[in-house]
Amino acid sequence: MTSRGMSIIVARCLSSFERLFRLDRGLPRSNVRLVVDGLAGALAIGIVAATPVAAQEKPSTLGLGIFTFTSGPAAAYGMPGKNAADLMIDEINAKGGIGGVPVSATYVDEAQGAQGVIAEYRRLAGDAKNQVMIAALSSANCLALAPLAEQLEVPTVGWNCDTHQLLMDGKSKYVFRPNGNTVPEFIAYAIYLLDRKPDVKTVAIINPDYAFGHDAAKIFTAALKALKPDVEIVAELYPKLGSPNYQTEISRLSTARPDVVFSNLWGADLENFVRQAAPRGIFTSSQVILALGETVLQRVPLPDGVIVGVLGDGWWMSPDAKAKPETVKFAEAYKARFGEYPVFPSIKMANALIYVKAAYDTAMQKNGGKWPTRAELADAMKGSKVETLTGTAQTRADNDGLVDQIVGVTIKTPAQQLPMIGDMVRYKGDSLMPQAGQDPLAWIATLKPEFAKSLPKPGSYK
Amino acid sequence: MPAIIAAAAVLILTLLPVAAPWLQFVLTLAIAKGFAALGVAVLLRAGLISIGHAMFFAASAYAVAFLARAGVNDLGLLLILSVLGGALVGAVAGSFLVRYRAIFFAMLNLAVSMVFYALCAKLYGVTGGTDGMPVPVPAVFGIALGEPAFKSVLFYLSLGLMVLVGLAVQRYLNSPLGHALSAVHTNEIRLEYLGIPVWAVLLIAYVISAALAGLGGAIAGFAIGRVVPDFAFWTASGHLVLIAVLGGIGGVPGAFIGALFLELLHSAAVTVTDSWNLIVGMTLIIVIMFMPQGVYGLFARKEATSL
Repeated sequence: MTSRGMSIIVARCLSSFERLFRLDRGLPRSNVRLVVDGLAGALAIGIVAATPVAAQEKPSTLGLGIFTFTSGPAAAYGMPGKNAADLMIDEINAKGGIGGVPVSATYVDEAQGAQGVIAEYRRLAGDAKNQVMIAALSSANCLALAPLAEQLEVPTVGWNCDTHQLLMDGKSKYVFRPNGNTVPEFIAYAIYLLDRKPDVKTVAIINPDYAFGHDAAKIFTAALKALKPDVEIVAELYPKLGSPNYQTEISRLSTARPDVVFSNLWGADLENFVRQAAPRGIFTSSQVILALGETVLQRVPLPDGVIVGVLGDGWWMSPDAKAKPETVKFAEAYKARFGEYPVFPSIKMANALIYVKAAYDTAMQKNGGKWPTRAELADAMKGSKVETLTGTAQTRADNDGLVDQIVGVTIKTPAQQLPMIGDMVRYKGDSLMPQAGQDPLAWIATLKPEFAKSLPKPGSYK
Repeated sequence: MPAIIAAAAVLILTLLPVAAPWLQFVLTLAIAKGFAALGVAVLLRAGLISIGHAMFFAASAYAVAFLARAGVNDLGLLLILSVLGGALVGAVAGSFLVRYRAIFFAMLNLAVSMVFYALCAKLYGVTGGTDGMPVPVPAVFGIALGEPAFKSVLFYLSLGLMVLVGLAVQRYLNSPLGHALSAVHTNEIRLEYLGIPVWAVLLIAYVISAALAGLGGAIAGFAIGRVVPDFAFWTASGHLVLIAVLGGIGGVPGAFIGALFLELLHSAAVTVTDSWNLIVGMTLIIVIMFMPQGVYGLFARKEATSL
């Protein structure tokens, strides 16, 4: 390999610096040599490791770049995703991999911020072995990676990427999201709330202070105003992401005495909020909606009657999921390996991997069993309809996904110690989505109260 | 002799992306941060630590994004205007910040930069909040380039600017104005008695350092393609100080050496383990303990004293 030779030459040049320029002045000779040699060696290894291998018929392994938070506060959401990916990949490999090729994943920590994530994406994309990227969790990172995916022509599957801005221009060829986005996810709560509590007058919102929290507040408010124009938003609170203390916000909530408290706090923030709000009676004085409540069901005792959901259909105990043996098997294996049942971020990741596998199967079917190229894979994802662990993920013409939305309330059942979700509804994915290319907020404003009447009612999903 | 080392280093940088194309982005980013760290290093000459320079880095990157949104679509024009924007913010902030010294200077810089950060994150309708703003690929002298070609142009442009701006800053530091900075550090009152207005000396240095940070921010904005408030967060400012100290403030190349070292180290560490923070941190401790002059101190012990 020429590049290997080149890198060795570069390394040699670097290590010869010490003699050429007498770098050892004032320092013990061996130290400097060690430093320079070490740097040169690291450089050489980096270059060799980064050299793209030529595309071959069927590679020995199939590389996937998987982007999630593995450090920092957002790891509360990111690690269940990574765990699920580990488990799912093991399951795929146990069955002989994809098309006979074993899968191996490279994980990238999104806590590095956009710069580090982009650098890693470019590095992984430079290796032809890595044909697909599963990226990413954070909306900001998804938005930063999307143009890159188009330029480098790497099929990129957003495993979380909630923001409705991601595929808004409808021009994406390589970015896919087999997932709901913020629009159907939060409209679903507005509709469910009005069905369950039609006389609601006042609403307070407490969301994390970043784009996800603000987007959710905007969509939820717009949907409520469209469906019931006399609803009043009495407080909008945006605590900082990662706050340990919510006492001030809880005081505001208890003085505002709203009929409904809506929140899309998540991770440790949500756990902290629930632990601090419960003793102060927020859950008894108001109907609370915790949009990401399912993620903490196993960790904090939620009172009965809290509206919770999974931002999609990814609940491992939904009637559809329980009817699928592979989902039950996955959940049990997850519990055995990680000590907890999967939460919906885990299911989203597992579904993303199933989506990728399905794309390989379709692509190989189309080209007669040959190993697909990146372009063929993207082609196979376009317009696909994939059976996932918990339902179906349909890909629209603008690459956005249609998945159902499950919403319900917490109930305690004698059979299960954990709080369960009951009184559920399952909205069809396409019923809550604007048409491709339509401005989502403008679309929400056109909704009429009759629209909600046509949808299934709470308790209809059993 | 140092000129040869520098030339060889630049040559290696020129060739590296040919061998490993993904390195191009890392190196562009490293050079961008090198500019900003050079800005911090200029102020360090006067004994002033700014833990807020990421503000100018971000201000200029946001300027690029806003100008692009307003329809300006030329690399040169965007770069010049955004650096002027960074310098302008520097002039405004500097006009009152340079009256302070030591810990007060550091903390006030931090405070002002965090106000800027909060504005970027909170003005959701204007700046897009934490999702940030996109930076489109601009035309280069009227030629619309594809993305890969543009990134190469950007890299070699940054490399060229690194040499040119580096030489210019070296000239500045060797001029009476530059030497006045070290004099502020040693004995400020004597400088006033000599009839040199300390306030003006520091304000000029502050604006230059803000412009340098701005240049870095603009390049980073182009390279990343998206500007997010995190650019201005205090940890980013701390990162810049770290690069400056790590590389060594003895000379202009120090900042760039520090930035290259840290970026490459980071890239290497994240490929190995999830605990990349640990590797980066350990290496920094080792460098700071065993190379108090910074990495540049290894190369340039002699000139550092004569400068």
